[in-house]
Amino acid sequence: MEAKSHGSAATGDEDLVSSEYLTFTLGSEEYAIDILKVQEIRGYEQPTLIANAPPFIKGVINLRGIIVPIVDLRIKFQLGTIEYTPFTVVIILNVAGRVIGVVVDSVSDVISLNSNQIRQAPDFSGSFDTKYILGLATVEARMMIVTDIERLMTSADMELIDSASE
Amino acid sequence: MAIDMTQFYQVFFEESAEHLAAMETLLLELDIENPDSEQLNAIFRAAHSIKGSAGTFGFNDLAATTHILENLLDRIRKQELALRADMVDAFLECGDRLREMLEGHQGRGAVDPAAVEDICARLRQLSSGDAPIAAVQPAVPLAIEPQPVAATQPALDDEVAIRPPLPDNGKRVYDIQFVPTEVSAKGEGVANLLDELRSMGHLEIVLHPDGNDSAGFWELRLITDVAQDVFSDQIDFISDNGAWRINEDTSVAVDGTTAFGFFDDSPGVPDNVRGYGFFKNVDEAAAPVEEDDSYGFFEPLPVPATMPEPAAMAEEGDGYGFFEPLPVATSAVEPAPVLMAEEGDGFGFFAPLPPVESAVIVVEPPVAAAPIAPVAEPPPPVAIKPALKEVSAARTAKQTTAAATAAGDSSIRVSIEKVDQLINLVGELVITQAMLLQTATQMQGTAPERLTVGLAQLERNTRDLQESVMSIRMMQISFVFSRFPRVVRDLSGKLGKQVELKTSGETTELDKSLIERITDPLTHLIRNSLDHGIELPETRVAAGKSPVGTITLKAYHQGGNIVIEVGDDGAGLPRQKILDKAREKGLPVSDQMTDQEVFHLIFEAGFSTAEQVTDVSGRGVGMDVVRRNIQAMGGRVEIDSMLGVGTRITVRLPLTLAILDGMSVAVGDQTYILPLSYVIESLQPEPGDIKTLSNQGRVIQVRGEYLPVLVLPELFGIKSRWRHFTQGIMIVIDADGMKAALCVDALIGQHQVVIKSLEANYRRVVGVSGATIMGDGHVALILDVSAIAGMARSIMQKAG
Repeated sequence: MEAKSHGSAATGDEDLVSSEYLTFTLGSEEYAIDILKVQEIRGYEQPTLIANAPPFIKGVINLRGIIVPIVDLRIKFQLGTIEYTPFTVVIILNVAGRVIGVVVDSVSDVISLNSNQIRQAPDFSGSFDTKYILGLATVEARMMIVTDIERLMTSADMELIDSASE
Repeated sequence: MAIDMTQFYQVFFEESAEHLAAMETLLLELDIENPDSEQLNAIFRAAHSIKGSAGTFGFNDLAATTHILENLLDRIRKQELALRADMVDAFLECGDRLREMLEGHQGRGAVDPAAVEDICARLRQLSSGDAPIAAVQPAVPLAIEPQPVAATQPALDDEVAIRPPLPDNGKRVYDIQFVPTEVSAKGEGVANLLDELRSMGHLEIVLHPDGNDSAGFWELRLITDVAQDVFSDQIDFISDNGAWRINEDTSVAVDGTTAFGFFDDSPGVPDNVRGYGFFKNVDEAAAPVEEDDSYGFFEPLPVPATMPEPAAMAEEGDGYGFFEPLPVATSAVEPAPVLMAEEGDGFGFFAPLPPVESAVIVVEPPVAAAPIAPVAEPPPPVAIKPALKEVSAARTAKQTTAAATAAGDSSIRVSIEKVDQLINLVGELVITQAMLLQTATQMQGTAPERLTVGLAQLERNTRDLQESVMSIRMMQISFVFSRFPRVVRDLSGKLGKQVELKTSGETTELDKSLIERITDPLTHLIRNSLDHGIELPETRVAAGKSPVGTITLKAYHQGGNIVIEVGDDGAGLPRQKILDKAREKGLPVSDQMTDQEVFHLIFEAGFSTAEQVTDVSGRGVGMDVVRRNIQAMGGRVEIDSMLGVGTRITVRLPLTLAILDGMSVAVGDQTYILPLSYVIESLQPEPGDIKTLSNQGRVIQVRGEYLPVLVLPELFGIKSRWRHFTQGIMIVIDADGMKAALCVDALIGQHQVVIKSLEANYRRVVGVSGATIMGDGHVALILDVSAIAGMARSIMQKAG
């Protein structure tokens, strides 16, 4: 429903206006997020634990003086092998005025997608609720899950924000 | 090209708001009986500045209203009108209206034009209600001048009664005071000036220096019909660098008699002069008195060496009077010399004139011996008290003015974001420096000496830098305190109570963010004291107390904390009533609770023992908000109260929200910071020391006290590095009056840490109040000791 309304809004005048997306992999799945939400990409460092936090919240790190929480999406969505190597990457997102780090398997690409390329996703149930999915896009035979990362990160599911979690 | 004025609006709004606040403070400080002319001037200047800039920016409503206000102020300042309590009320209200207008212009709130018109009309009426002294009613306005002497000493009435009528013949009277320069004193300068002035009208030499040359202090009186600026240039020319003053005396007769001033020293009244002491103007008869060894010290006189000795302190030979320049004529009636007259070696200290008036001498020759022989008659004892009071009032005024001048010295307006950014950057610098130092330490012997020396220097410099940057944010608590006189004044009027507010420690500094956040809780505490604490005057008298209640507001440093006390001498907290009410509310209470615990119940949400809900307080909301706000600032509240004697609420706050003295402790592989202010001691427990309560709660006996044991690894779900927690270290903490033993793996050290918000990007975590960045760049969480103690409480309750 959400994706649909979004889709219809996007099929207006801006049909051919394409936006850039950052793609990353979680296990075998490939996700695309609006690149304007991405602040930077950095390596994983051991965060400071937060007591009694859900397991996918790894803790907080010091990002040049800012305390940034780190979320491991692999744990959240039970995807991929959860190991932390020097090659594990953290995408630092800037969403809803907050800075949040997300651990993913790997960052693959930056792609351009216009709204015609984003198809509505079928309803399915799973840990990854369709309401966070803007649609699906196919690039070079790879399927990307175009994700509304801001909505996902501010949701109550992520337990990152006070108002949402209460 | 039109300049876009809107870009300056914000500055105007801020400045005007500041002027209004300053005006209000001054108005409240003003002693109606004996207004300090410097304060009146300051109020006038504030109003004038608002008017000026409002006109410039085209806020005509503001300018018009201020204009009316200014008119009345000007007349009071010039002593054409006497200050009355209703005028102060009107001024305060006018200030409120102006503030509303300002806010209206800023798009917040609306102005009620009727209210504005109302206050304007009131001001106009006040301003026209009393006719100018010179013209219509020559004597009456003098009689109603509420000078302290006029009020307390009936003698003045006589004087006023015999005051000659003041005919209006178009002439004006100028009091001219000057000290000639050395050159003009030796030459013909002064003589020429005197001739010049004589040609303009009737000149009287009120006071001239002793000796042959004319160096020294001159006081002349000129009755003329020419304007002041005709001769002011000449006086300026021969006078020592600005050491001259011309006052137009509008309250004075111009018919050739010598009567003028408030204290009329006309020769006709010497017999009943009881308000001896200080005569504003002394005519020739009273002029320089060569008598014994009495001195008058008139500071700062430019030519002290040739100082005339105009003062004769009655008969007493060793009477000294230190008269620093007095503000204007008002102070001339200070009865202080009365004291000297009686006691011989009494001293009267008069506040120096603030620099605004610069070096202009306003010294009035004090007591003249000849016509005032009756001074020998001992003054009524009442007169002495006012004298002392005046002196202390003058001192206070001096301090206030000094503080105000210092504050206004030279400053720049910087947005708080810039300062915060600076603080953040310095915080980063400190962390980077710590990292470098750590790396160098790890190199041990291999680090070149120059590097280690340089790093040590860097450490010192960063620490100094951090301290000075932090001090930018520090503000005096007077910023908060200054609003309370108004609150107390308004509220006590509304409640029909008589309350005096005493403040001390206004210069105590604390962080700006704390200043902002402490205002509301403090206002609430004061309102509460006023409403519930201080009794009605009748009740107070019946209880044998003074009808005037006192609310004291104190701020001081204690350890690393700022302590703010709000005390009253009111009814005190009724322990039994609170307990009953708590039972009614179903709160878990018992008669064995300590007073502290009982009093803390008033902080519970919805708790009120007030029989009646007023619009001031009594709804039971508020005190819980007060405590929550203060706790959110990392502070604590304590209550002491004694039935019938009073209540004192003590608020302890950290100096700043940005830095914290902490003890770092290790739990597993994690480091936590424990605010040092909560730590009492640490100890290594023996396994046998720890007892269990119904196999849930654990307690440890420390010096005869059983303390609940909190095992941090368990609370936070972290794997301890020890097999059993008793191998770790116990830290005894004291949070909100509750002690507990916190078990950690090890103590690491003591640090000053920069507090970072965890909530900026994450959410609140129970048991954690914030985060900081350690020397190695890692994040360490700061423990919320109050919350952890709360956990202890709930564990104990479960167990017990």
